[in-house]
Amino acid sequence: MKRDIEDATSISEADLEKLTKEANQEATPSAAKIMWREFVADKPALISLFILIVFILFVIIASMFIDVPKMMETNIMGYYAKPFTPEYWLGADAGGRSIAKELVVGSRNSICIAIGLTIISSTFGICWGLVSGYFGGMVDLAMQRVYDFMMIIPMLMTIIVIVTIIPHYNAITLTLILSIFYWMGTSRLIRSRTLSESQKDYVAASKTSGTGNLKIIFREIMPNISSLIIVDTTLSFAENIGVETGLSFLGFGLPMGTPSLGTLIANANDPENITGYWWTWLPAAVEIIILCLSISYIGQVMRRTTNAAQRRGQDKK
Amino acid sequence: MSLIEIKDLKVHYPIRGGFWNRVVDNVKAVDGVTFDIEAGETYGLVGESGSGKSTTAKAIIGLEKATSGTVTYKGKDVTKAENRRKLDYNHDVQMIFQDSLSSLNPRKRIEDIIAEPLRNFEKLDKQAEKLRVLQLLDIVGLDADALYKYPHQFSGGQRQRIGVARAVATHPKLIIADEPVSALDLSVQAQVLNFMKKIQRDFGISYLFISHDLGVVRHMCNNIAIMNRGRIVEVGTREDIYNEPMHIYTKRLLAAIPETNVNHRKEHREHRLEIEKIYQEQQQKYYDKDGMAFPLVKVSPTHSVALPPEEAKKFQQQAENKEVNV
Repeated sequence: MKRDIEDATSISEADLEKLTKEANQEATPSAAKIMWREFVADKPALISLFILIVFILFVIIASMFIDVPKMMETNIMGYYAKPFTPEYWLGADAGGRSIAKELVVGSRNSICIAIGLTIISSTFGICWGLVSGYFGGMVDLAMQRVYDFMMIIPMLMTIIVIVTIIPHYNAITLTLILSIFYWMGTSRLIRSRTLSESQKDYVAASKTSGTGNLKIIFREIMPNISSLIIVDTTLSFAENIGVETGLSFLGFGLPMGTPSLGTLIANANDPENITGYWWTWLPAAVEIIILCLSISYIGQVMRRTTNAAQRRGQDKK
Repeated sequence: MSLIEIKDLKVHYPIRGGFWNRVVDNVKAVDGVTFDIEAGETYGLVGESGSGKSTTAKAIIGLEKATSGTVTYKGKDVTKAENRRKLDYNHDVQMIFQDSLSSLNPRKRIEDIIAEPLRNFEKLDKQAEKLRVLQLLDIVGLDADALYKYPHQFSGGQRQRIGVARAVATHPKLIIADEPVSALDLSVQAQVLNFMKKIQRDFGISYLFISHDLGVVRHMCNNIAIMNRGRIVEVGTREDIYNEPMHIYTKRLLAAIPETNVNHRKEHREHRLEIEKIYQEQQQKYYDKDGMAFPLVKVSPTHSVALPPEEAKKFQQQAENKEVNV
């Protein structure tokens, strides 16, 4: 059987290397290369990417050198210390705690929770949507009823109740609790695209080529909706920073004594702080604005990468 | 024995309605189709759009669930998914799609697209696999530099040839070609068809060739079935269909083939109008009260037509008389 195909052509093993080289010369650039070109073409996005990566790395590494329990001790001598002094770069709050240190550790906590939450909830949401959309029929019906049930639960109330009931929780358990409630939006979005994508001929072609369902879902359909996945994930990352921050602001986020961006912004609850001691809340607020702005710039570039018609990057050889 | 035998194949889609979303009616996309495909031949399936050709093809290859009827391959009914798995059915039966762009995954390189069936059915090492892909590209007349490109970088004809290469990759026994050239312009159609014919000669592959273009079918097929409204209205060899069409629908299809000879323009036009007139007059007679074609009646050893009951009776009597004489 194999003989037949070989007989019909003049190509043999001897030509393999030469032909591979030829093919390599004509190869289309990979997705990573195209994405980099897009970043280069869009300067604000390149700066945003730089800021985001440097900031996240800085915050994670710097917080390793900070003794958190000691930092959180009340120091009466530093009561509302003014900023821009050698000891208190960004001043201190009512407890005499250094805002700069709190900002570093708080950002680390908030960003790590946001990353963890995005990874868990998006992965789950994407899988749920893909499976539901691909199989359709009864599978879809059952999975969408679970989705509907999750949607009607009042999210914030339930999270607050769970957080109050559980006696000991930390950043990891908080991330898991939040993940239970934040996958639905992604799953609906992915499902709707999967529904249309799985009707296309290339899926039928894969089926007739003998490819299994799971492989079709994750190796054929998923790359084709990657644009949607990337954009949704970046945007939900920005949103998820807000989720933890908002909870901490309300006082139901991380346990007492753990700094986060939300607890810092909560300083602004006090009218005295707003008018007199701006350094207690302003840095955290500015940081969130910069982070979310950067992420949305990066998200735009990601979207352009996946849509050839919107590309700005030059096709350089 | 034939390579594959399709017997009384039916694909019905339920229409749901009413308060409880019950099944109120069925769309009979394919309603009792029977034919056999011999090894090495090209079997043509012709009909207007919506006549159930593509649904028949999808039911044969297993993309569409058959409501009833059997498709027998190697003595097993392959309408059941379990039997398809056991036989490695998709190793032997492959498909070429009408829309060459949407049938190739836009996110995969040509190498991965053509190698997909190879990876599923034949465990080859990386080098051997690449070599096979290069050989397949050569067979369909594409250069090696296509290997790492994406489908959108090719023209329609090239893409369709990539589709052919993928279908041939596992060396199948039957390729179902669902209107493989109807999306291509005429010169490219000829090119792709000739590649398909060459591959058939080289590898002894059978085709189920689906088309609405009678000129293409005449070029490609030995046996032809004409489909209309989910049923076969006429089956026969190429000569039977083109020289002695008996069903009014077949006659109408044949009359619609454009003629290039301008000198006889007026006569052709009159001929077409006449056929159309007969079709309009006899439509009631050739289709039953639900608008479906009648069962097939044998008029010669190779030729069967869905004739109305009165005429069918005549042919049956003739056949019986012959038997008596013998």
